[in-house]
Amino acid sequence: MEFKEKSLKRRNGSMRITRREFLKWAATSAAALGLSQLDLLRLEKVLADSSAPPVIWIQGASCSGCAISLLNVTDPTTVDDVLLNHISLKYHPNLSAVAGHMAMEKIEYEMIDKMGQFILVVEGSVPTSANGKYCIVGEKTDGTPWTMYQAVQDLAAKAKYVIAAGTCAAFGGIPGGNPNPTSVVHLDEIVEKNKVVNLPACPVHPTHLVKVILELISTGMPALDGEGRPKAFFSRKLHSNCPRRGTSRAKKIGEFGCMNGLGCNGPNTYIDCPLVKWNNGVNWCIGSNHPCIGCAYPGFPDAVSPFYKF
Amino acid sequence: MAKIKIDPVTRIEGHLAIEVDIDSNNNVIYAHSTGNLFRGFEKILIGRDPRDAVHLTQRICGVCPVSHCMASVNALENAFGYTPSDQARIIRNLILGSNFIASHILHFYHLAALDYIQGPEMEPWTPHYNTDCRLTSSQNQAIIDNYVAALEARRKAHEMAAIFAGKMPHVTTVLPGGVSVTPTSESISKFNMYLDWIIDFINNKYIPDVNTIADAYSDYFSIGVGNGNLLAYGVFDLDNTGNYKLFRRGVYTNGTISELDESLIKEYVMYSWYDNSDTNKHPSNGSTTPTPDKSGAYSWLKAPRYNGEPFELGPLARMTINGDYTNGISVMDRHLARAQEARKIAYAMKDWLLQLEPEVTSYDELTVPNSRVGVGLTEAPRGAVGHWIAISDSKISHYQVITPTCWNASPRDDNGNPGPIEGALVGTNVANVEKPIEILRIVHSYDPCTGCSVHVSRADREVISEFIVNPVR
Ligand code: SF4
Ligand code: SF4
Repeated sequence: MEFKEKSLKRRNGSMRITRREFLKWAATSAAALGLSQLDLLRLEKVLADSSAPPVIWIQGASCSGCAISLLNVTDPTTVDDVLLNHISLKYHPNLSAVAGHMAMEKIEYEMIDKMGQFILVVEGSVPTSANGKYCIVGEKTDGTPWTMYQAVQDLAAKAKYVIAAGTCAAFGGIPGGNPNPTSVVHLDEIVEKNKVVNLPACPVHPTHLVKVILELISTGMPALDGEGRPKAFFSRKLHSNCPRRGTSRAKKIGEFGCMNGLGCNGPNTYIDCPLVKWNNGVNWCIGSNHPCIGCAYPGFPDAVSPFYKF
Repeated sequence: MAKIKIDPVTRIEGHLAIEVDIDSNNNVIYAHSTGNLFRGFEKILIGRDPRDAVHLTQRICGVCPVSHCMASVNALENAFGYTPSDQARIIRNLILGSNFIASHILHFYHLAALDYIQGPEMEPWTPHYNTDCRLTSSQNQAIIDNYVAALEARRKAHEMAAIFAGKMPHVTTVLPGGVSVTPTSESISKFNMYLDWIIDFINNKYIPDVNTIADAYSDYFSIGVGNGNLLAYGVFDLDNTGNYKLFRRGVYTNGTISELDESLIKEYVMYSWYDNSDTNKHPSNGSTTPTPDKSGAYSWLKAPRYNGEPFELGPLARMTINGDYTNGISVMDRHLARAQEARKIAYAMKDWLLQLEPEVTSYDELTVPNSRVGVGLTEAPRGAVGHWIAISDSKISHYQVITPTCWNASPRDDNGNPGPIEGALVGTNVANVEKPIEILRIVHSYDPCTGCSVHVSRADREVISEFIVNPVR
């Protein structure tokens, strides 16, 4: 097995032996370290994967719900498999061990070193008023505050692809709701459109997100619709796939039946919720006798509210 | 005097920066906590259908959406003059309890543990700050294995919640008048299977791992001790009066527990980027007017105070006020109380599940009143959360939210009192100013959730930033 020794040494000053040496040492000291055969296999796998495609994740005007949703993924695989075996997550505000200037150094390093190579995942919309001061991502190594507005522009310019994860990043979301107090914009207003994949839903559906990341790595840009959404998940209205279509109309929330008449946004919203459902297929909004609030609709929340039409 | 700045503070929800001044012995003498995100939810809510608040406000936080959902639905039902049925109350408790457990597991393993263990030698676990790993290699490896197992455990806790919540994060099924979901014998038994699996994880992995770390880092029982003030609004109603709860509400000050008087809550903004006319207001008549260039201010968080004093919120506050935890107030006490609380909630959920009636939907259609006020007080995993609403012409005319992290990570108030985290940092010795792990350990013990970014800048250069005020002397 070939190990990427050079890159490991350069990037991680604290590890002074090569991957190969480390693994050899671990194998011979397995008993003393209390490592099982399984542990060793896992270690080997982990160490072999330093060349996995780099991903940088940043958060703007968001609630971190999309990051939490990512952790809920089960299809096509689980998040530990994604992190250990498919991608190299260079920076994630909720998962990275590192903080402060070391984190910022790392982002700056990855930007330069991996120019044009990494996948940028953006969660949250981008405040533009007050010179972007409504959202600061961190303090740059030169001591100046890095606004989300600037961070998106700096990183997107050097990213190979940009994923707008969730309705906020894709379309503005609640921070962009009337009166849009911080003048947020969504990603494709400030980033080259042909780089951006929009994945609306509040939060992003983890299956959509992971499938798109894997597709970008393996084959490149998926086929997108006019709103920049992958056709694979957003080509049909929710209503077209809804198992409640044609059932008798529910007269009241909580009743089984079609929710049209109670404010269901399924007839407006393009997404495949009835097919993928949520949380490992456990449930979904209409499956629990509640109308779709249109969380993946481009005009969410203003264009779909009030949510209850009674 | 040197400064250490951590910006961003990672492994929290939100955008937070921490800056401390250290003396020549590397002891922290002043600390500043800066919330670095403002979205304006309270403005966005104005003029909308009050019922929409339940869905909109949960999007304040993707880590504790259920708590905002519950605070909002409580505020609305309080305004509408409606009391939900036992069935709706129990379903809500089960959804909320599931999210408490998911959040506590996430916090310990994925947000905090990396301050004590060394993760796998790959990104995102490298590089790291931990220059003080005291576990044996087999203890360390066991917790890494459980880090992976905990990803599954918190995911399963969300799947369990979704059985009655519709989806997670961001619940669909809870609305004023009850819940939309109908439990069936099948869904109840599915929930029970998840719960048993999770209880096993808590008993056999989570609690032992917290104990392992507490043993190795026993000095952290006297680090980050805080100001001795704890406060809880109470949570998990056990009957419909709202007076009987799994965690009762109360105020703890240096060993004395007293009743909470909600009218004594005020928010101050002298050091926050809000108009000074917003200061010293009870949230029922408070306002939120951003003034991004206000001089002297250093945070987007306001400074909530109870009777003029800063109070710490969270599992340690709830467990102490209820007599479930009596050891002390410190970094390690927060972790232990959080883990023990997860177990207490999980066992209570077993009981609640038995009280559910299959095939019964509990929802009453309510008419939105023309003009009313309401308050909803509950708890998020990381502490007390309150929503205050006023309705005029059947629309939202006023909405104020105080999040738990607003208390814990608050800046100074108008009297110069530091917020709880700021206070807890003072006196801490920092061994390595390049990797101030002690600061991260203290900050993380509060499980902050602000959409914060923490700034730690190098001590060897002068900090030049418009966001920093000089220490108040
Ligand atoms: S429940 Fe909604 S999405 Fe489903 S059929 Fe009825 S209107 Fe369409
Ligand atoms: S059913 Fe509607 S509200 Fe629910 S997740 Fe799908 S798009 Fe969003």
